[in-house]
Amino acid sequence: MEILNYTEDHLRFRERVRSFFEKEVTPHVDEWEKSGITPKSIWKRMGEEGFLCTSVPKEYGGMGADFLYSVIVSEELVQTSHTGLAAPLHSDVVVPYITSFGSEELKKKYLPQCVSGDMISAIAMTEPNAGSDLASIQTTAVEDGNDVVINGQKTFISNGINCDLLIIAARDPSTSDAYSGMDLYVVEAGEKGFEKSKKLAKMGWQSQDTAELAFTDCRIPKGNRLGTKGGGFLMLMEKLQQERLMVCIVAVAGAERMLRDTLRFCGEKVDFGKPITKLHNNRFKIVEMAAEVRLGRVFLDKLVADHMEGKSIVVDVSMAKFWTTEMAMRIADQCLELQGSYGYCEDNPMVRAWRDMRVLSIFAGTNEIMKGIAVKFMGL
Amino acid sequence: MDFNLTKEQADIQKAAREFARGEFDPDRILEWDRKQEFPVSIWKRACDLGFQGVHFPETYGGQGLELLDHALIIEAFCRQDSGIGLAMALSDFGAEMVLVHGTDDQKRKVLPFVAQGEGWLTLAFLEEGYDLSTFQTISHKNGNGYAIQGKKSYVTLAVMAQYVVVVCQAEFSEPGGQSIFLLTKDSKGIELEGMGDKLGMRMIPMQSLTFRRVVITGKDLVGQEGKGSSHLREFLDTARVEAGAAGVGIAQGAFDRALDYARKREQFGKAIVTLEPIKNKLADMVTRVEMARWMVYRAASSLDQRKPEDRWTILAKMIASKAALEVANDAIQIHGGYGYMSEGQVEHFYRDAKALDLFMESGSLEKSMLGDQIAGRA
Repeated sequence: MEILNYTEDHLRFRERVRSFFEKEVTPHVDEWEKSGITPKSIWKRMGEEGFLCTSVPKEYGGMGADFLYSVIVSEELVQTSHTGLAAPLHSDVVVPYITSFGSEELKKKYLPQCVSGDMISAIAMTEPNAGSDLASIQTTAVEDGNDVVINGQKTFISNGINCDLLIIAARDPSTSDAYSGMDLYVVEAGEKGFEKSKKLAKMGWQSQDTAELAFTDCRIPKGNRLGTKGGGFLMLMEKLQQERLMVCIVAVAGAERMLRDTLRFCGEKVDFGKPITKLHNNRFKIVEMAAEVRLGRVFLDKLVADHMEGKSIVVDVSMAKFWTTEMAMRIADQCLELQGSYGYCEDNPMVRAWRDMRVLSIFAGTNEIMKGIAVKFMGL
Repeated sequence: MDFNLTKEQADIQKAAREFARGEFDPDRILEWDRKQEFPVSIWKRACDLGFQGVHFPETYGGQGLELLDHALIIEAFCRQDSGIGLAMALSDFGAEMVLVHGTDDQKRKVLPFVAQGEGWLTLAFLEEGYDLSTFQTISHKNGNGYAIQGKKSYVTLAVMAQYVVVVCQAEFSEPGGQSIFLLTKDSKGIELEGMGDKLGMRMIPMQSLTFRRVVITGKDLVGQEGKGSSHLREFLDTARVEAGAAGVGIAQGAFDRALDYARKREQFGKAIVTLEPIKNKLADMVTRVEMARWMVYRAASSLDQRKPEDRWTILAKMIASKAALEVANDAIQIHGGYGYMSEGQVEHFYRDAKALDLFMESGSLEKSMLGDQIAGRA
């Protein structure tokens, strides 16, 4: 009995996604990694194929599909040997804020373009002085007639350069309570006062255009607020569960891929006259790695099933996020170890994976924050 | 049993630390790492001030100090920057092979050359596929001299080095016999090929060297003919201590940065250094740094006292490079998102630590060597 029930439709969709990525993504990855960004054209192509925002209801141009379609796109993207094309962030993290909390007007205006790939989205929470402590953000949103004026600075924002649409967390300075003073607003790129100030150089995710964003008297319509006034923090708390689940998918599917590809490579490579996988001291290690990956898969699939049934996954997803991301890093580390000196050559695809996996334990809430959440909900 | 550094050793450590603090420019470091360039200007200065080859005798351009002194310098340099520190440590890779087994002529030629910053030396021993007992690079007898044929991979600084120490399988000697030679790189028949970008140790360009019937004389032999594998084993003992010292420096440097950041960074209304999970991590990090440091000093001291036991050197490299990796990993985590950015510097320590961990021999290989030794298998 499988934990997740993929139908024939799902499997056909997976085949289509896989073959599309093999043809239109994988061959370009090296080039994107060098240029530090993905071209907008690939987003547009994904939109044309129906691979973006699969969960958006049909009336707004989407498929109204279940969460397994999101899982499929995310898992198949992992097979492309890079992480920079952050389509799952757009489809399954950012856009759901609009679907769930946007006014009818905002939904009509933006969702079809997000589905088609004409608009790439991003979400800006982190600031230079507010990371783990999300409630301490300093970016302000001040109402002025029918407008809202935004001032502040955001950092480590994925899709920061490519984004056409940004959801930004900001606080109302007239409200002293950090939680009830927070709101989310939709801001279009190109608005006066919204500057994509700096693309950041990083250890991995090199084809991802992570950026710093700056807001100086950026004026947007009041109607761009999501949900009711003061509801921003709760919206984030709700939606962060799925965001963390998306991270677990990258971790587990990434670990599976790394182990599979490394075993293939090591089965061919010879040390001491034997394939590396046949060397006595490596064999137990490989079995241990395979066991960890299996545990991760079972845990992940169960979480996906629970999430689809609408169960609260707060504690489990917090635990899964720290465990699966650390597992993925262990697997990456050991995969390089098995390869000896070739383990630090960049033409080895596992080296990129090692660099890419390292951020999973940091973004979407650090692993320390994940443990803190579990502590709270377990009543410890 | 005295665990204290002598006054002289403490002075050397202090001088190296001050030099590194004063000269290693953070902006240039990012650039050298990105462009994969050897930091020539720093290396020149370090040579001018006598930091390189301190363990060579004075007659050969050194200061007649010990391996431990040399290790302290590597540690201090790597603490300030992993990339520059490793580049300095590997600028004369193979020197100890010449120092211990070379002829007077070879020593005069090469040791002052590398210590005084005139150029670089490298050691070519690894080949594709790890097996130190049988190399595919062969030295054929050729009249009174030899002809070398084969290919060596993962040769550090091959592109820059003027001298190359190469370990060959010796033709016509007893089975398993190896011979070692000192060559000038412009010898006819040596071809260089790039090995692409690297994850870490990026300031140390790495190439493969192909030898197409490279003809050399009998005077180029280092040590005894056919005894190369035991010479190499001894050399690796020294090299592991140096690599271990680099590991300690990288771990300490990553820790310094993490502690500094944790003191400055405020979240939840207070410096994160006051938070229990952060304090725990810092405690783990110090544990690893100190374990590694004493293991490396112990190994260096055993070689200085001419009581070499490869148990200590294997432990030194294995523990110190893992410490570097784990401490740098924790340092990234403490830095959060900033730790993943190049500007945060610790990701560079982490990449260098990973490369160091796999350099020469991987940790799992070291573990199996140690296991064989304990179980008594030759």
